[in-house]
Amino acid sequence: MINFTLSKVQEDFRDYAHQVAVEEMRPISLECDRSERIPESFFWNMQKRFWAGSAAQARQIEGDERQGNVLSMLSQEEMAWGDAALSTAIPGPGLAAPPILSQGTPEQQAKFLGPYMDGKLHWGALALTEPGIGSDVAGMSTTAVLEGDEWAINGHKHYITNGARADLIITFATIDKSMGRDGIRPFVVPKGTPGLIIGRIEEKMGLRASQTTELIFENCRIPKDHLLAGRGGSSQTSKAGFKAAMGTLDATRPMVGALALGIARAAYEAAKQWVKEELPAGYPVHKRREIEVELDEMGQELQMARFLVWRAAWMADQRIPNSKEASMCKAYAGALVMKATAAAVRITAPGEQSETKLFIHKWFRDAKVFDIFEGTAQIQRLVIARRMFPKINIP
Amino acid sequence: MLDFSPTEEQEEIRRLAHSIAVEHLRTQGRSAEKSGDISPALMQTLAQTGLITPFPDAYGGSGPIEAITYALIAEELGFGDGGLAMNVIGSMMGPLAVTLAGNEQQQEQYIFPFCNGSAGAAERGSLAFAERTGGYALADIQATARLDGQTCLINGTKRDVIHGSHSNPRIVLLRTEGGEGLASLCAVVLPPDVDGVEIVRAEQKLGLIAASSDSYAFKNVVVPSSTLLGEPGNSGVIRVAALYNILRAGIACGTARAALEYAGDYAQERIAFGRPIVSYQGIAFMLAEMAMKLDAARLLLWNAAANWDRSVDLETLVRDAEAAHYQALRIGKSATIDAVQIMGGAGFMQDHPAEMWMRNAAAME
Repeated sequence: MINFTLSKVQEDFRDYAHQVAVEEMRPISLECDRSERIPESFFWNMQKRFWAGSAAQARQIEGDERQGNVLSMLSQEEMAWGDAALSTAIPGPGLAAPPILSQGTPEQQAKFLGPYMDGKLHWGALALTEPGIGSDVAGMSTTAVLEGDEWAINGHKHYITNGARADLIITFATIDKSMGRDGIRPFVVPKGTPGLIIGRIEEKMGLRASQTTELIFENCRIPKDHLLAGRGGSSQTSKAGFKAAMGTLDATRPMVGALALGIARAAYEAAKQWVKEELPAGYPVHKRREIEVELDEMGQELQMARFLVWRAAWMADQRIPNSKEASMCKAYAGALVMKATAAAVRITAPGEQSETKLFIHKWFRDAKVFDIFEGTAQIQRLVIARRMFPKINIP
Repeated sequence: MLDFSPTEEQEEIRRLAHSIAVEHLRTQGRSAEKSGDISPALMQTLAQTGLITPFPDAYGGSGPIEAITYALIAEELGFGDGGLAMNVIGSMMGPLAVTLAGNEQQQEQYIFPFCNGSAGAAERGSLAFAERTGGYALADIQATARLDGQTCLINGTKRDVIHGSHSNPRIVLLRTEGGEGLASLCAVVLPPDVDGVEIVRAEQKLGLIAASSDSYAFKNVVVPSSTLLGEPGNSGVIRVAALYNILRAGIACGTARAALEYAGDYAQERIAFGRPIVSYQGIAFMLAEMAMKLDAARLLLWNAAANWDRSVDLETLVRDAEAAHYQALRIGKSATIDAVQIMGGAGFMQDHPAEMWMRNAAAME
């Protein structure tokens, strides 16, 4: 039955994440953005606070509760409301988890994800993007060649979140370039593997506290069983690798949508509060009214974005194919966060410099990437259109 | 607990509404626009399904209305034809208002006739909401009722009242004189042949021509206070207004979906420069955008309908229903306009229904 109310568990989960955002993230948000550094204490606090977070991922591993995606998107919205850059740095397997969960054997899942439960600081990363390819994964140039009992990986990845601190990097590479995207496989590359070279740390417009890394693989050799081949799939013939990449996106796009939504909501709330409490004396009444109408409408759009995100995550939990819906929520929220933050910058422009304005300016800078990573706005539309018209070749 | 799937029973009702929409409403949309009304045969068909009598069993209806179920039905009817859908839903709102806000005697008087088998299919009701000075938001209501013991004095205007001149009951939403907010809203059943009401049939309408409508001007109209549906500010009146917004939003979503599907089909068939035009991103992205915005608006609508069904507080109910209505009309307009654009010259021609849907969507304002 159609129902938009959250269960007690879901509400508690969201409220807890909100509390963490208020207490741990907002207070250090501006300083972390300025310095592009995150204090060590933050990681430990989050580690302590989010033992529950790893536990949620553990629940997903067990597969007994079908709300892992809904729970994490609820917490993502709150975290991004707190600080989207800091939320990417919360210890845990992060983006490495979905491919291991969807394409790893039970043994691989235990082997690779088990160590994340030891109470220490660990991160994970996903390396797909290369200098020459983004969404067009078929053109991937990083290669993996089986030599005896080892895979030798060679290539160049960039824009990798947490690439320098990750314990495991899920690295996508082609085993046969002539196979195009069907030749792509996910490999688990542990930190410190000889031949894995950490390149430069990018300087960015926004999400500055989030670490974005270049990775170079020079004859980087990993054990044979570090290939995530899909359950029962033969490594040489199955298309599991490409599916893993795409399946990962179906699970992560709603999360990115939720992050975008969180920033959009932060900007919307700040602008609304500013109009209510900090509007300069003498501000024209008709302009105030215009802004209030604009903000009302934005509130409706936030609600629509939220429902699109909720639906996509709910479908993932229900094991209903959700590529189209995941792209819809990502595209919608990605556009909305830009609109909302830009509106907040415009609305609060007449005011004196203040902390509120500094936050709004940060969110505006943070926002743009949400219309870019995990597939640009254009790629999302391509995914949606291809699902709508499966018989037509839309190049 | 989050859930985005209708129940099996709701799906079944939706399938029924869909098949009628495709077989009858879609095929008769253009002819109904020419004649300006729904055909008696189609009303009979609809009456037989029980879909248009969501009134209490005690009066022969098919049971109390559920907003989610009827939002689904409204979308299907709108998918068939927006004009005919507004004709049917517009009529239903009269007896629905009596059901939700009227007393037992009013219910007996006004609901029974609609449930009277094939004769019931000829009955029409109406609900006067929007005015010369506003749209379908309760805050816009300015027509006043001065309650004075045994009588009620009415002044103000109403516009685009579907079946406004030939319906019974004719419900009019009003605000008590000098009152503000939801607590001051009330509704009367306008008696026939009452002095001071000027009724003007809307001519040369832009769209929704299959749902004939009238405007009212009230000048010191006196009606007995027994025509009031409940006390001012009673939840029934507010819930019926919210329900009208929800159902109109459903029709707008249905219109948008029709346009999206029709233009999508056309774009797959139409070849330009050797390829179906949908294979060009310029067209494909427009369709993707329409689908995304439609889904967003529909979720907002479902949320409003779910609120209605679980009787949330009235402020929330009204806010969310009006938000859903606003966003549904927005996608209704943009999707139909884009459908005409995607079809190019063919979209402009009356050989295809897209231009009619575009006019219908705009006429819902």
